[in-house]
Amino acid sequence: MSALAGTRILELAEGVGGEYCGKLLADFGADVVKLERAGVGSPTRRLGPFAPGGEDPERSGLFAYLNTNKYSVEVDLDSAAGREALRALLGKVDVVIDDHEPGWLAERGLDPETLERDWPSLVVCSITPFGADLPEDRLHAQDINVFHSSGWGYHTPSAPDASQAPLNAAGRFLPSFESGMEGALCIAASLYERDANQLGRFIDISMQQVLTSRCDYVVAQMVAGEMAVGNERTAYDLAGPAGIFPCRDGYAYIWMSTPQHWDAVRQLLDDNAWMDEFPENWLERGCTPERVALCRKHIAAWLLTQDKHEVAAQAQKIGLTLVAVNNGRDLQESPQYQHRGFFAEVDHPVQGRALYPTVPYRLSETPAQITRPAPLLGEHTAQHLDANVVPVKQGGAA
Amino acid sequence: MSTINRGGPLQGVRVLELTKVWAGPYVGKLLAYLGAEVIRVESEGSLDVTRTFGVDDIDNAPGWQSVNPQKLSVQVNMKSEEGIALILKLVGECDILVENLRPGAVKRLGLGYERVREANPDIIYVSMGMWGTDGPLSYQTGYAPCFAALGGVSALVGHEPGAPEGMNTRYADSTFGAAAAYAALVALLHRRRGGKGQFVDVSAVEAMSSMIGDSIMDYALNGVVAECGGNRHPEMAPHGVYPARGGEWVSIAAANGKQWAGLAECMGKPELGKDPRFATLDDRKANEDELDEIVTAWTSGCCPMELVTKLQKRGVSAAKSQSSLDLIADPHLWVREFYRDVTDPDGNSKPTLGPSWNMSRPAQLGAAAPRLGQHNDYVLGDILGLSTEERESLYAAGVTR
Repeated sequence: MSALAGTRILELAEGVGGEYCGKLLADFGADVVKLERAGVGSPTRRLGPFAPGGEDPERSGLFAYLNTNKYSVEVDLDSAAGREALRALLGKVDVVIDDHEPGWLAERGLDPETLERDWPSLVVCSITPFGADLPEDRLHAQDINVFHSSGWGYHTPSAPDASQAPLNAAGRFLPSFESGMEGALCIAASLYERDANQLGRFIDISMQQVLTSRCDYVVAQMVAGEMAVGNERTAYDLAGPAGIFPCRDGYAYIWMSTPQHWDAVRQLLDDNAWMDEFPENWLERGCTPERVALCRKHIAAWLLTQDKHEVAAQAQKIGLTLVAVNNGRDLQESPQYQHRGFFAEVDHPVQGRALYPTVPYRLSETPAQITRPAPLLGEHTAQHLDANVVPVKQGGAA
Repeated sequence: MSTINRGGPLQGVRVLELTKVWAGPYVGKLLAYLGAEVIRVESEGSLDVTRTFGVDDIDNAPGWQSVNPQKLSVQVNMKSEEGIALILKLVGECDILVENLRPGAVKRLGLGYERVREANPDIIYVSMGMWGTDGPLSYQTGYAPCFAALGGVSALVGHEPGAPEGMNTRYADSTFGAAAAYAALVALLHRRRGGKGQFVDVSAVEAMSSMIGDSIMDYALNGVVAECGGNRHPEMAPHGVYPARGGEWVSIAAANGKQWAGLAECMGKPELGKDPRFATLDDRKANEDELDEIVTAWTSGCCPMELVTKLQKRGVSAAKSQSSLDLIADPHLWVREFYRDVTDPDGNSKPTLGPSWNMSRPAQLGAAAPRLGQHNDYVLGDILGLSTEERESLYAAGVTR
């Protein structure tokens, strides 16, 4: 059974944030109609990774991942017919998802005021780097700029080498994925109310705020004046010997903060005489830089002789929080992911079969499911638009 | 089920939290910010470490305050049978239950899904675990950086290929919480539309993998194992974090040829925009070391905000890499009321973080995190309908405090 069956969504978004938001809803059964630029389609069709066979718009693995279960309708929104088509579609849907720059929605009559007058029961979610009201020095931003304006960038990685630049987030689009999920959350909440009173809502999501919120435990203490702020790149860090260490076959992450963890380390290391110099509760009450350095040195030497999955299993069984640093191959081979079915086989008409990552929750009654691959460009145009507004196909860039 | 009126999309929804530390409480915070009435069940014998860590006053612990604004606290002794019976009674008055205790802990308490469902068949029961609730590795435990390592996130962050350094150690808990909050609301919608209550099983490691889905797709389609490699981007160049004056940093991304030309103009070298070494994205990727050296030579020694202003005027994506000091002083975040005041139980006002969204008809926010057991009378009296005598006798028996 699908939880969101019958919910109709119009996706105007053309970026990763908005498309991921739409995907999260579509995978629960919502009907998501994606408007794509006539002739060229969504810009995400031109981003990798590409399936083998050339970089054409039907081979983007990024687009295929972000648009499972959706319908594709080709429209030229700058034409009179396109505007008419948009109006017709707006009258048929419950939700609109957008991630264009601020002002784009207003130009199409979807600003909060017009919305309340013309479309009072529409839920419109706008996802932008800094929210709808922009100062002039924030008009242009990519994910790396959002990540670095949020506080995360300056403090990544933990315990940095000060001579090296702070780093970007993992992958290309982490801020967009975070914000798309936040959009889906706000849309689901708004639909809950709308079911009762038919009232729509304008939702203005700031990606910067989404990311800063994700560190609320630290940043709220700083805003409240309870934690020091400054220019230290270690301002978010926790003291201690935790960290990533090389193993024989990759990397492992070890976390130690209690006497129990310390005892477990003693059990695992053959060469543990050096530990006798440390107080039993040093991790809690005597975490000096010298001890941390010495401890890290010995842990590093030991882990170099170990394999990541084996040593993690051994450590976990005696209560030590040691885990493998997994890569893409490890994830697909993970017995845990196989057990939970985190990867789902999807058969795409151009790209063929592949194992797609799915979503991080299992619902007993209404699980998320990929029932259809991402649509081909314009695959559902005729089905969703009246014949008189179907756009003429055009080549070239939009 | 809630009767307190703060407005917002989740007005009327009641949530029970059996949570600890950050990820579970973050679920309740998001739902409270959307208008739900969120009750944290606390037990004096097993307090959340964020109430006690490094402070003497459990009612004014800064970490606790950060993730629990706008919630209610009821104190029930979870080591007593009467306490568990009381919680099960309360479950009957709630829509959603969220738990992120250690693997198996809710079952040992007598508050596992089967038991709770008997008390309230309509309940949406959200269970959060590092690996989810079952499977060959579900016995394992870890903290946020373990989620990031296991989920494939850490491997993608590092200066040199093949040498992962990972995200900041704080990353992961809240992302996990946001995923759980979304899933809970989908289940709630299903119930409102005629469906049943259900069990929602959320995995922290999978939440992490979901933040790098595009990298995982590269392995799925091409067998390519993505690696870290500094701040570069396959589809943009330059793309990085460049040094400015006084140990400060600025992030710059030339999203396309036009932005690259704008950047070249800002650098006072408009000819670079047409230089064959850098003419197309492929050219710039092929000569990226040289390109980054040129940008670095320009940014080094400059004021970061002047760089950003200049670049933005030419249409180039740029932002200062904000330190904690910059972040707290960021005027835009104050103007948008992301930083906003809440009032604590003593009537003192202090700033905290608001939601990431602005929305029409939002939920009213104003209350700081609760004192331990602050809402016992409301929860036991108003919600459960216990008389003063009944409440006094529970208190006397040590079931509540």
